[in-house]
Amino acid sequence: MIAALRSGAMGGRLSGLLLVALPVALLIWLVLWPVLQAMVGTVYFPGTGFSIASYTYFFTDAYSLRNLWLTLWVTALTSVLRVVVAMPIALYLRFRTGSIAALVQALALFPMFVPSVLVAYAFIRVLGPNGIVDTVLVALHLPKLMSPYLTPAGPIIGLVWDGLPLTLLLLLSGLGRVSIASVDAARDLGAGSWTLFTRIILPRIQSSIIVTLAFNVLGLFSAFTLPFLLGPASPEMMGPYMQRTFSDNADPLNATTQAVITFAFCAAFGLIYVRAIAKGRKGTA
Amino acid sequence: MTDLAPISPFDASPSAVARIARRAPVDWTGIAFLTGLAVVILLPLVVTAVWAFAEVWRFPAIVPQRMGLGYWQETLSRHDVWQALWLSLSITTTVTVISAAICFPAAYAFARLDFPGRNMLFLAFLSVQAFPKFGLIIATATIFLTLHLIGTFWGVVLIQLVGTLLYMIWIPVSAFQGVDRRLEEAARDVGASPMRVFWSITLPQALPTLFAAILITFVNTFYETDAAWLIGLPNVRTMPMVMISFINNALEVQYGAVLFVFLWVPSFLLMLAARRVMGADAFAKGFGG
Repeated sequence: MIAALRSGAMGGRLSGLLLVALPVALLIWLVLWPVLQAMVGTVYFPGTGFSIASYTYFFTDAYSLRNLWLTLWVTALTSVLRVVVAMPIALYLRFRTGSIAALVQALALFPMFVPSVLVAYAFIRVLGPNGIVDTVLVALHLPKLMSPYLTPAGPIIGLVWDGLPLTLLLLLSGLGRVSIASVDAARDLGAGSWTLFTRIILPRIQSSIIVTLAFNVLGLFSAFTLPFLLGPASPEMMGPYMQRTFSDNADPLNATTQAVITFAFCAAFGLIYVRAIAKGRKGTA
Repeated sequence: MTDLAPISPFDASPSAVARIARRAPVDWTGIAFLTGLAVVILLPLVVTAVWAFAEVWRFPAIVPQRMGLGYWQETLSRHDVWQALWLSLSITTTVTVISAAICFPAAYAFARLDFPGRNMLFLAFLSVQAFPKFGLIIATATIFLTLHLIGTFWGVVLIQLVGTLLYMIWIPVSAFQGVDRRLEEAARDVGASPMRVFWSITLPQALPTLFAAILITFVNTFYETDAAWLIGLPNVRTMPMVMISFINNALEVQYGAVLFVFLWVPSFLLMLAARRVMGADAFAKGFGG
């Protein structure tokens, strides 16, 4: 196929298309087609015609609505918490160098190397009933912890831990656009740390924060493993809810309806994320 | 596991070394962050590792009453563990090999050839990330239901393969773009055929990054849980599924801990190797940075 390059532009065009054909076909078959099928298949039924019954059911069913609400607030809180936790570390790493900074970065990025199943297991050993935190508290003659295991706090803690590295990296790449000179200049003029952060740094990394939040929302809204293993059984987040509807209740129609609803809630964030990356590629290509 | 890093956590920058030489004042902020992170990040992993070697550890003792390798023998002689391990390895190998076979040529085309719809098709791979992942898996599962792919080896391979497309194309594209064009032209000038240039000049330069992409795909696919769960169960039980059953059924705390150490250490070393061979900013663009 590479030999075809020689035979001029026409050959290059054809071989290019041929080389990308398989992954593109896979993408169409297993991503775009299922999404389309899910959207159409939940409202149009061959033989009987249009019906939005499954959506009416979701939005009138108290249990579904409680799950949706749980998902919304856990997603919002976790996204914000990730940024709040990662921001000080990112600021520190942007304006400091040295062996300690290198170590801080290594530690903060470490969760990237820990698969979420293992995160769940370690979480239970530490914060679960009779975990190491309880052990230490008892040794200090303090009351035991109100364990976050199997409460909404469980997945929130796990997801913040798991998502810290990527949030940090996205913020760091945004902070790369803040010049140290401008910060030094503001400091020379007597700006305090808080003024510096809100007036000089924040306006410059606004778009990075929005992309970070969008990326987080997309990942969190249908998070499955950690909410399933660490969260409450009822109400449950959309991820476990969809899984249970699909597998345990063998009800693909309602599961797909729930999936389309998560697509709808995330559509704006998906758009923000894709546009930001497309723009970034154009800038560097 | 979350995705990949644009910045290697284990590289100290040259300027960092220069600063130390100048004897900067003690970095108290850094020490505070370090202490906090050590407790939050490392403690859970250390506690789990200790559990793997604890034969008796009854609450509320701070340290185990008896240490030993007893549970290693017990866990590693379990039939379900080995069955899942071989299954996971064969699924992961299949996914990685197919993914490399179809994605690397495509990446070469995206990086070097001009064809209609190139930019649009390239960005289309982002759509995998533009939807909430589990929703997408549910939508695909509905299609697999009619194709009788639920609970089958190939169903799991297909769904995990889709998950690898983005990185297996985007990372190699930057590798192929990074190859020094002047070397290729020089080889052409002295009469090398395009095929020869590709094998002798282009491929060797891109190889470390391609290798890193393969390693990362292998490790991430091995631990993939969401899709394997929905598409694979009940017939196809991969390693993470066994881990989850150890967590949920709470047979013996140590079984999970032993698997944790047994599985995590090799994967960690593989990822470390991947980070080493890969350029520091290979992924930076991929996350909208």
